[in-house]
Amino acid sequence: MPGPTIELTIYENEEALLAGLRRRDPDSCACLIKRFAPLVYAQAIRLLGDADEAEGILQQTFIKACDKLDTYEGRSGLGSWLYRIATNEALMHLRQRSPHVNLADVAETIQEDEMPHRLTSWTFDPAAAALNSELRMVLEQALATLPEALRVVFVLRDIQGLSTEETAAALGLGESAVKVRLHRARLRLRELLSAYMQEH
Amino acid sequence: MTCEELIAHLSSYIDHEMDAALVAEVQEHIAHCRNCRVVLDTTRRLIVLVHDEGQRVIPADQRSALFERLHQAFLKRPQASNESAV
Ligand SMILES: [Zn+2]
Repeated sequence: MPGPTIELTIYENEEALLAGLRRRDPDSCACLIKRFAPLVYAQAIRLLGDADEAEGILQQTFIKACDKLDTYEGRSGLGSWLYRIATNEALMHLRQRSPHVNLADVAETIQEDEMPHRLTSWTFDPAAAALNSELRMVLEQALATLPEALRVVFVLRDIQGLSTEETAAALGLGESAVKVRLHRARLRLRELLSAYMQEH
Repeated sequence: MTCEELIAHLSSYIDHEMDAALVAEVQEHIAHCRNCRVVLDTTRRLIVLVHDEGQRVIPADQRSALFERLHQAFLKRPQASNESAV
């Protein structure tokens, strides 16, 4: 038997939703999930590179968030708060999952095969291309092929926009390791996307 | 500065984490080397391109099934400890 249908647009805006969550309205957590799950899931899948694991992180994130609403101070916006919880949960999961890390993945020099090979310029305008869903898919796929040690640094630095210092702290790495891994990730992604740009 | 050295320093240059003397060497090299100019330009475009990806959401056709599973898991969650303490 399907559960009762929940009206998910009962809150006009984020403040009304937050007030509902604080009153512990029965449907408020469902509304929170509905509104922010896609954003949280996208971040989890980028960090983990695996849809099933990302879904697990998504569940943990919302269960944690709804249990810890009392500690949310409302300064950063619900979306950023959830984003941060999801990032922490995903990083914790990565640390538990990866006892065997390939040494080449964490090397602090550019690898031979990472030197640029494709030397055609990109003619598109990045601001307009950001709306292109095909390009987005190519990018997400390219990201998924990166070794975890490089991908995680790239996601936190260039996608999420954390500083080198914040990224180093979040990952328990030195700042020079963050810089080298970011550089290696950029070179690899540039190469992968250049292949796509050449054909389009 | 050789092409290899330039590539090694590329991210420091893009991120403005490089001292002035080295910046001058990079610019000198870029002015004369088409290949390195392309690598620099495409790397910068990559960074601009991914910058907004942080706000990207999952496609609509995946959304409702995912939401349904998530909501069911949420309803079945163990009760928070602070509620049983009341
Ligand atoms: Zn060169």
